Amino acid sequence: MKELKILVVNNYGQFCHLIHRAVRDLDMDTKIIPNTTPIEDILAEEPDGLILSGGPEMDRAGLCFDYVREIDLPILGICLGHQAIALAYGGHVHSGKKGGYAEVEVEVLEEDDILRGLGPKATVWASHADEVAILPEGFIHLARSDICEIEAMRHPTKPIYGVQWHPEVSHTEKGEELLTNFLEICEKY
Amino acid sequence: MVKPEKFIPKAVEKISKEIKDGRAIIALSGGVDSSVCAELAHRAIGGRLQPIYIDTGLMRKGETERIKHIFSHMNLDIVYAKDRFLAALKGITDPEEKRKAIGETFIRVFEEEARKLEADYLIQGTIYPDRIESEGGIKSHHNVGGLPSVMDFKKIVEPIEDLYKDEVREVAWALKLPDEICERMPFPGPGLAVRILGEVTEEKLEVAREANSIVEEELLDRFCPWQTFAAVIGKGTGVKGDIRAYGWIIAVRAVGSRDGMTAEALELPWDVLKKLESRITSEIPKVARVVYDITPKPPATIEFE
Repeated sequence: MKELKILVVNNYGQFCHLIHRAVRDLDMDTKIIPNTTPIEDILAEEPDGLILSGGPEMDRAGLCFDYVREIDLPILGICLGHQAIALAYGGHVHSGKKGGYAEVEVEVLEEDDILRGLGPKATVWASHADEVAILPEGFIHLARSDICEIEAMRHPTKPIYGVQWHPEVSHTEKGEELLTNFLEICEKY
Repeated sequence: MVKPEKFIPKAVEKISKEIKDGRAIIALSGGVDSSVCAELAHRAIGGRLQPIYIDTGLMRKGETERIKHIFSHMNLDIVYAKDRFLAALKGITDPEEKRKAIGETFIRVFEEEARKLEADYLIQGTIYPDRIESEGGIKSHHNVGGLPSVMDFKKIVEPIEDLYKDEVREVAWALKLPDEICERMPFPGPGLAVRILGEVTEEKLEVAREANSIVEEELLDRFCPWQTFAAVIGKGTGVKGDIRAYGWIIAVRAVGSRDGMTAEALELPWDVLKKLESRITSEIPKVARVVYDITPKPPATIEFE
């Protein structure tokens, strides 16, 4: 795979720098940017894709809603980034009945491009109290767990994907594969 | 990954260029980050580097002696400041307030030493995740925006600011630093204070220090955990020699991790847990019971505070 430029949008999650590290270790050009970076500055960097990191609260998600609606690039939302995508397209987010912490077994409903090679079940690591409660209209439900019904999703037509778990942490099984899948999506786009 | 054979000469050259013929100081903790910075700077500017080690009284057993020995070639300035740190911690129970009190006391003590030495430059062991976490408000790192904000230096030099912890270790090996530095388990900046729930007292410190020493002896070499330690988490009723005793409760922690960001408790054999309990309760008379913490990160952090 050729070297791609991937911008990691910092939503102030504790694992943000691990996304940068994981992508860098896949031999990509990567950089962490504040979630207040204007869209024109992002486009001036000529990135091949964006990854929206997790974070503590939606109030600090900066311009993420604008990014996912207006930037024509592959986008992967992780944890809060996944929830931001859902909200930006009219979905609903609420507190889960149970928080998802540490080891969670995810059932892959549809592999699509993003979860290729991860099914039928994968052990992942999560850290969230909130979750996507209702999918945005037309979005495709890709994975679920006993903790959280909407663990992964994708936009019906655009290369926009969300996962509730953290593929960037070392305890997630096949986290690198998921990120590699995203990079392949970016390369093809 | 970093290529140490390329990184080291570049870093040494960068430090030389930035400091020129000035004098620099570094707060040396004995951790891998500050040790690597000290060694790189020593290669760059030699005797114009003054490392300062502050013994806060919150260190592990034998730590100060170890550091004195390892860095004997560097004209190390050791400041014994235990009384000041304990005074600053008196009556404080809130974890963040404790960190703040330790951080501020550290800055004051460091500042006093720095003024005596008339250094122009400060060398800091900031690494890449420190910057990201501090910018995001996740964790206040006292080497990001702490010391510089209260002191006037011509420049702050951060030789390893783009490296991750495992990369710093690679550089440490390449610099031929002793194994005990290269492989040193992470130890929190505030020291044993964050392994004592509630107020930090001389008695609790002594108990924590001894318990940590036992846990390290029993688990380090045999199980190679990412981190293992003991914490004083409160008091409970025990019975020793037919007498009811109200003694300290020690929690033992041993976790596996790649980078400290996520962690799992090690599944220690029952006989090992029993030996830990037996040694801790018999060798530290003031301890009434021992528990083993099995919580992963998340939802827990590795340290208790």
